[in-house]
Amino acid sequence: MPFIGLIFHNVRTRKFRAAVTAAAVAIGITAVVALGVLTYSLRETAVSILRTGRADFSIAQKGASDILYSSVDETEVAALRRRPEVESAVGALVATAKIDAQHPFFIEIGLPKHQLAEFGVKVVGGRAFANNATDEMMLGYRAAKEFGVKVGDTFKVEERRFKVVGLYSTGVVFGDLGGMFPLQSLQEWHRKPGVVTLAFVRVKPGTNVKKLRRSIEDATPQFATVRSETEFGRVDRNLILISAANVGGSLLALFIGATGVMNTSLLSFYERIREFGVLRSIGWTRRRVLVLVLGEALLVSLIGAVIGIGIGYLAVRGLTRVPDLVGVFKPAYNAWIFWRALLFASGMAFLGALYPAYKAARLVPLEALRRE
Amino acid sequence: MSDEPMIRVVDVVKRYDRESTALDGLSLEVRRGEFVALAGPSGSGKSTLLHLLASLDAPTSGRIVVDGRDLASRYGVNRYRRLEVGLVFQLHNLLPHLSARQNVEMAMYGTGRRERERRRRADELLGSVGLGPFVESRPPELSGGERQRVAVARALANDPRVILADEPTGSLDPEMADVVVGLLRERCANEGVTVLSVSHDDRLLRAVDRVVYVVAGRAVDAG
Repeated sequence: MPFIGLIFHNVRTRKFRAAVTAAAVAIGITAVVALGVLTYSLRETAVSILRTGRADFSIAQKGASDILYSSVDETEVAALRRRPEVESAVGALVATAKIDAQHPFFIEIGLPKHQLAEFGVKVVGGRAFANNATDEMMLGYRAAKEFGVKVGDTFKVEERRFKVVGLYSTGVVFGDLGGMFPLQSLQEWHRKPGVVTLAFVRVKPGTNVKKLRRSIEDATPQFATVRSETEFGRVDRNLILISAANVGGSLLALFIGATGVMNTSLLSFYERIREFGVLRSIGWTRRRVLVLVLGEALLVSLIGAVIGIGIGYLAVRGLTRVPDLVGVFKPAYNAWIFWRALLFASGMAFLGALYPAYKAARLVPLEALRRE
Repeated sequence: MSDEPMIRVVDVVKRYDRESTALDGLSLEVRRGEFVALAGPSGSGKSTLLHLLASLDAPTSGRIVVDGRDLASRYGVNRYRRLEVGLVFQLHNLLPHLSARQNVEMAMYGTGRRERERRRRADELLGSVGLGPFVESRPPELSGGERQRVAVARALANDPRVILADEPTGSLDPEMADVVVGLLRERCANEGVTVLSVSHDDRLLRAVDRVVYVVAGRAVDAG
């Protein structure tokens, strides 16, 4: 039997103990996965706002609690546009509205008609809205499909009624699930005259983007420039808080899981003292005993991790059906969430079994053999 | 080198506390390839001597040298236990969740033998003690005698130069006791293995080269 086979064998012959340990790990991993998916999903939703506009970087108010609360004066956008390195700067007002219980966060994007193309909007049906129209809108083609709306239909956004004059595509799912309105009309409705949420900036070829961003931030310290998704936290503190909660919750889950592993590993250690004594007396090194105990804990933890990942996945899907959470987030998964779960399970095994493994390795063989 | 005794125990004292002295200045020499029995009343220190020789415990004072190696040095103690001595415990000390074969294989981890070789060796040894059909059986499924034979097979796994046995025939029927004694005898005669065995079994005492009586922690050579 290979050494790894011995580890499997030992786990298999102590099924109940292995099941209890795996359950403890599974609970911890469920929390890790659920928190990971929730954070990633919320982040994806938030970051999608940046992806909607075609830009080299975006500008938003620094330190806003939520990107949607960012406030950038249109005169600042105009000043940006005058910079020689800037090819275009499009100011967009982004807001949300409740359509129905299934769609509590319908995205509204306010843009000047003449900058639709600069923003990356392609009209795929009907026409664009008139510049200052208060009763016209365009629907993203995905939203039109979702709501069963055609060009010429009336679409109700809260208590406002609009004629859908066209359908558009931005190439970004998030943007195509919303609606576009004349900027001024949306500013009036949200009582934000002369203000946009974000400015989407495109630079001229050959421009040193890093230098330009630094120059903009020096000149207007109330704004932050964002180029990549990892920088998004600079303009959305909620996301930082959610990410921090994810890290904190996951660490807590790690310690809960590790405590479970330690509990059962210690009980197992006291049951197996004689066994370790025999192994040491026939020449097993301390290291080999240590690796055996840690290996068994790792195997059980990985089994728990697989179960935890499955339960976590189902739990997140279940959350999307909770009435208060319907439409709030769409579960998004990436491989890192699952690798992270396996990493945490390994951490649980190591933290939980290290002390029992150390005790097993340090046993004096003769004393261990005398234990009944 | 060959004139040097395989085992040399010089004035060894083992005290567990002030009241209890297991060995009280015991001295003993055993030649290479010699089969020696340790006899004596219970509590006289026979098992303690075996434990010291197996490097499972250290003497309070005195010196123990096995094959030129002073056991006071703890360096390489695992290798010594694994390769140089084979231990047969009084209570078998088999792992109940492993099969007979796996129990024998346990002694071969860390010896550089491949899995297939370990398995073949375990089967061969179990066959030699009459347990060929029981290689897959676990200790709880075996009789006391069968378990003892598994323990003997495990002790022989790495061809040790010294075998230390504590009542190896204690739980065997006469026929099997003869098999085990014959096996140990054969190791001495053919391979020059030194065997030191605690025993009260006349069958074994008759088969050995020499019987050493241990009385009150001291050795009395009966020749």
